[in-house]
Amino acid sequence: MSQGVKSENSAINELAALTDLDLVERARSGDQAAFRQLYDRNVDRIFRLAYRMAGEDDLAKDFTQEAFLRAFQRLDQFRGDAAFSTWLHSIAVSVALNGLRKVDRHRKRERSLEDAAHVTPGRRQMEPDVRERLEQAIEALPDIYRTVFLMHDLEGYGHREIAETLDVAEGTSKARLFRAREKLRAALGEEMQEYV
Amino acid sequence: MSDKRMDELLEQLREEYNVPPQTPRQEMWDVIEAGLGESGPSVISLDRARRGRRPMWHGPAGWAAAAAALLVMGVGIGRLTAPMEVASRGASLAPVGVSALRTAAVEHLGETEALLTLVRAEGRGGTLDPVVRPWAVTLLTQTRLLLDTPGGVDSNIRDLLEDLELALVQIVGVGEAEAGGSAQAGVELDLALRGLDNRELMPRLQAILPELTGLAGT
Repeated sequence: MSQGVKSENSAINELAALTDLDLVERARSGDQAAFRQLYDRNVDRIFRLAYRMAGEDDLAKDFTQEAFLRAFQRLDQFRGDAAFSTWLHSIAVSVALNGLRKVDRHRKRERSLEDAAHVTPGRRQMEPDVRERLEQAIEALPDIYRTVFLMHDLEGYGHREIAETLDVAEGTSKARLFRAREKLRAALGEEMQEYV
Repeated sequence: MSDKRMDELLEQLREEYNVPPQTPRQEMWDVIEAGLGESGPSVISLDRARRGRRPMWHGPAGWAAAAAALLVMGVGIGRLTAPMEVASRGASLAPVGVSALRTAAVEHLGETEALLTLVRAEGRGGTLDPVVRPWAVTLLTQTRLLLDTPGGVDSNIRDLLEDLELALVQIVGVGEAEAGGSAQAGVELDLALRGLDNRELMPRLQAILPELTGLAGT
């Protein structure tokens, strides 16, 4: 292994050992590698959430990119009261919701269930009628319910993190999830009794 | 519905609803890095442009001044005296100003449509004609004048103008990057073209112009 490669690996290892707060400090002073490290640590969860919200590859990428760019440009506003990832999630959710409102003015969100390309092989799939009703019900959820539902039930976020991200009380997050599930149950309604 | 059945459905939803593909890490990082490295307009500065805008005119007199500014720039069609009358005669003459502004908006949107058509056509070749940048700068200024005129345009047109503002900022950025020989010019151009498509600007312009033209009586 050359000296240069060793040195590079050493620098990467050093960054990997730093906390997010340390990385933010380095990024503030212009350290590009720190930006990249912050990106690498958070991009998967941000992209997954953006995709769950948008249902479209291009939109999810746009939201993710814009969220990181905004966060990196506003690092001086990050006070460290919450974790960097939470702060970043707040920005990402805001970017996605605003973006979706704009998109939805002109077209409905793409239907995604029919196009689901990543269904686990062998797993029992949803009945088409149930899928359609659920999909419509999720799309019809108000943003405040839909966001909590997607974060908690589909992406596995805890109520504490959701609450910090959305700047609400933990109880509010739980209440919103409850309401979202109730709305989905209601949407499935009596026609679905045969499945119940 | 039983909790068990609901849990089953939720489990299936996780596997079937908007299931994220593998994260395109490098592709997105390239865009972010370009945005961080460029001092010219990017997604960041688009946001700054929007946040940084402040209403420039308030009240009937200011409103008329906005119309006057648009007309002086040649956006209006020979109605230079109309806003002056508005200014001198006060708010009671607002309808005259509305008509002038609407005419200016029609002219402006038509010209913007022409620019965007050129950008889309040329963008496929990977570069923009040098004439595009100054043209986009002028249209950007006019767009902001229209946006900053309280009550001057209705909400539909305002939404469109806000999106056009972002698109024009991006196009100006492409022009600046190309003029400066920046290696990021291609990325900026790609972003601008994708922005046009994502915001469906051409179909929206083509849909709104005939309606607006009828209202303006042009």
